[in-house]
Order: sequence, then C-alpha cells, then structure tokens
Amino acid sequence: MTVIATIVDTTALWQTIVAAFVAGVGTTLVFSLAILGVARFAEASREGRPLESALSAGLALLGLLATAATIVFGVIVMTTK
Amino acid sequence: MSEAELILGIVVVTALAFDFTNGFHDTANVVATSISTRAMSPRIAVGFAAVLNFAGAFISLEVAATIAEDVVDPIAITTTVIFAGLVGAIAWNLITWYFGLPSSSSHALIGGVVGSTFVAAGADAVFGDGILGKVLIPALVAPVLAFVVGGFAIVVCYRILGRQRPGPVTRGFRFGQVISGGLLALGHGTNDAQKTMGVIALALVANGNLSAGADPPTWVIVSAASAIALGTYSGGWRIIRTMGTKIIKMDPAQGFSAQGAGAAVILTSSHFGFPLSTTQVIAGGVMGAGAGKRLSAVRWGVAGNIVTAWLLTLPAAAAIGGVTYLFTDLFPGAVGPLVVTAVGLALVALAFARRIRQGTPVPAT
Repeated sequence: MTVIATIVDTTALWQTIVAAFVAGVGTTLVFSLAILGVARFAEASREGRPLESALSAGLALLGLLATAATIVFGVIVMTTK
Repeated sequence: MSEAELILGIVVVTALAFDFTNGFHDTANVVATSISTRAMSPRIAVGFAAVLNFAGAFISLEVAATIAEDVVDPIAITTTVIFAGLVGAIAWNLITWYFGLPSSSSHALIGGVVGSTFVAAGADAVFGDGILGKVLIPALVAPVLAFVVGGFAIVVCYRILGRQRPGPVTRGFRFGQVISGGLLALGHGTNDAQKTMGVIALALVANGNLSAGADPPTWVIVSAASAIALGTYSGGWRIIRTMGTKIIKMDPAQGFSAQGAGAAVILTSSHFGFPLSTTQVIAGGVMGAGAGKRLSAVRWGVAGNIVTAWLLTLPAAAAIGGVTYLFTDLFPGAVGPLVVTAVGLALVALAFARRIRQGTPVPAT
C-alpha cells in the first residue's frame, strides 16, 4: 500500500473521486428538484391552487439557479488552476 | 527545410491526424446518449459537440503536461519514436472503429508512444511509475466512479420524480441533456485534445524547439482544438449505435444522469492532470444509469465486448508502435516516416472505402 501511495497522488485521486461524486449527483439532484417544481407548478396552476403554484415556481427557480451555479463554479475551478 | 524539420512536420501532421481520428472515434460516445433519448438530432448533437470540443481544448493544460513529462522520458526519445507511437495509436483506433468497438483513443496513444519508446530507447526511457500512477490506476478508477455516480444520480432522480407524470419529466430531462451533453463534450475536448498537445510538445522538445516542462505553444493548442472539433463533426455512426442503444435502452433521465456523471468525472480528472479514456468514463456512466434503474437493463454481453477491447488497447497499440519503429528505422532519415505514411494512407483509404460500402448511418430523428 505504501508503494502504491508513493506512486499515485492519492490526495489528487481522492479529491477527484469526491468532487466528481458531489458534482455528478448534486447536479442531478438540483435539476430534478427544478423539474419537480415545474411539474407541480403546472399542475397547481391548472387546478387553481395559487399558494402551491407559487411555492412550486420558487422550487423550480431555485433548482435552476443551483444547477447553473454548479456548472459555472465547475468551469471556473477548471480554468483557474 | 532540414531533414529534422521534415520529420517534425510529419509528426505534427500525424499527431493532428490522430486528434482528428480521436474526435471521429470518441465523440460518438459523447453524443450517443443525447441521440438515443431523442434530446437532439444526430447532426445537431454532433455539431454542438464539435463546437464544445473546440472550446474545451482551451480550458486546461494539466493533461498535456502529464503526457509530455510523466509517461516517457522527453530527453531520451526522438521525433521518429513519437511518429511510430502515433502510427500505433491511429492504427489501433482505425481497427477498433472498423469493427465498431469503442476502445480508448487515449490508451491507444499512450500505448503506442510507450511501445515505440521501449523498442527505441529501452525500458529506462519508459516511466513505469508515471504510467501506473497517472494512467493505469485512474483508468481503473474512472469508469467505476462514473458507474457509481451515474447509478446514485438516477436513484436520486427517480426518488424525487417517481410519482410525477412522465410528460414534463421527459421534456425537462431532454432539455437538461442539452446542458449535460454540452458539458460532456467540453470535458472531452479538455482531456483528449490535450493528449495531442502533449505529444506535439514531446516532439518539439525532442527536436529542440521547446524546453522540457514548458507549456505547448498557442499554435499547438489551436491546431489540436481544430483537429478534434473537425473529427467530431465528421461523426462516427457505427460507434454511436453501440454506445447509444446496444448497452442499455435509456430514458432522458438516465441520459442526463449518465452524461452528468461522465462530465463530472472527466472534468475533475482533467483538473488534476489524469489522462482518462472518455470512452470508458461515458460507458461507465451509461451502465451505472442503467443498473441504477434495473440491473438487467444493461446488456452485459455488449459491455463485456467493450471491456475486452479496452484490455487489448494498451498492449496492442504498444506492439504496433514498436513494430512501426523497427520498420521506420530500417530507412535513413525522413524516408522511413514518409514510407510508413504512404502505406498507412493507402490502408486507411481502403478501410474507409470498405466501411462506407458496408455501413449505414443512424437515421435522423
């Protein structure tokens, strides 16, 4: 194990694993929430429930903003090394 | 023009030809999921990927540095060695393309250069630690990581959206795939175009035009970006079919999860200078997104054929690179590379003619 650790940059490898997991799963999570917001907004608007439609619109907006922020942050990190 | 400059010119053109075949061969993997879920038409998906591949090539130089410094000794090799390595990589790329197998262009390139260096300069000129630490271990980790990320992502997605009507969810993820597919193409350009930059930098160092450890000149970055983008635009329809429909049947949510997983793994790895196989990563993401829904959804037999092609890639490209060096070295000066180029072009033309006669493109949707 020690030999492997001297050959492989384990810090970089672990950072890659954690960052890829957080970015990959996190982006899908926030984008799914955005879609959930859009779907519920459409349903609530159709059925005349203004409070639920407003909350759903907020969820959709937050989800989209979070998705955009994740992508922009990722590209900035990539370009600043 | 001196003989050394002529050989350098041949190497640069061959490296850009490799970059073109890399785009042609690999980017099919990038667009396959978008096409199979009908998020984009094939032509638009390929054009979009070409533009983002070009842009991606300018993002980072970490992978280029790994190729130029950590795989073989830049001081010990010559431009002829690099030429032979490139021929090994291109030959293996074309062989796997001919048979419709999505093997790794990156590992073909590294295998080819390692094989020709080993034959020309001996084992001391090959950095075993660099190959193990920067290439082989990340090569094992990356597809597994993409599989896990793709699997977790689709589970999260189904948990959140499982009870919603399929219409808005499908439309939402088709839109999302434009973004995730774009990120994947950006990542592909970042990681793969840099490998060509690294090889051209090696040739420039070998010829005395660049000091070891220096970044590739701007003309190298621009030409590598252009070559991979052109290759991407030319497409790779046979491989699109294998990746897009034969591994699993995907819905847009799975496509988004697979592409998101692939983009996350490739971009983070590029940031740390790991020269990955984008083919392996996206296949890992696709299989993870399939297995996350239902293990039996993955066609493991096709996935097994792909794994076999990957296992063969490094040794096969190394063997072709080594043999090419021995053949090239039989001739004096620039004659060897010229003869090999002429023979190679004739074989490529023959293979293309046969494939065009046999192959049919994916129908536009």
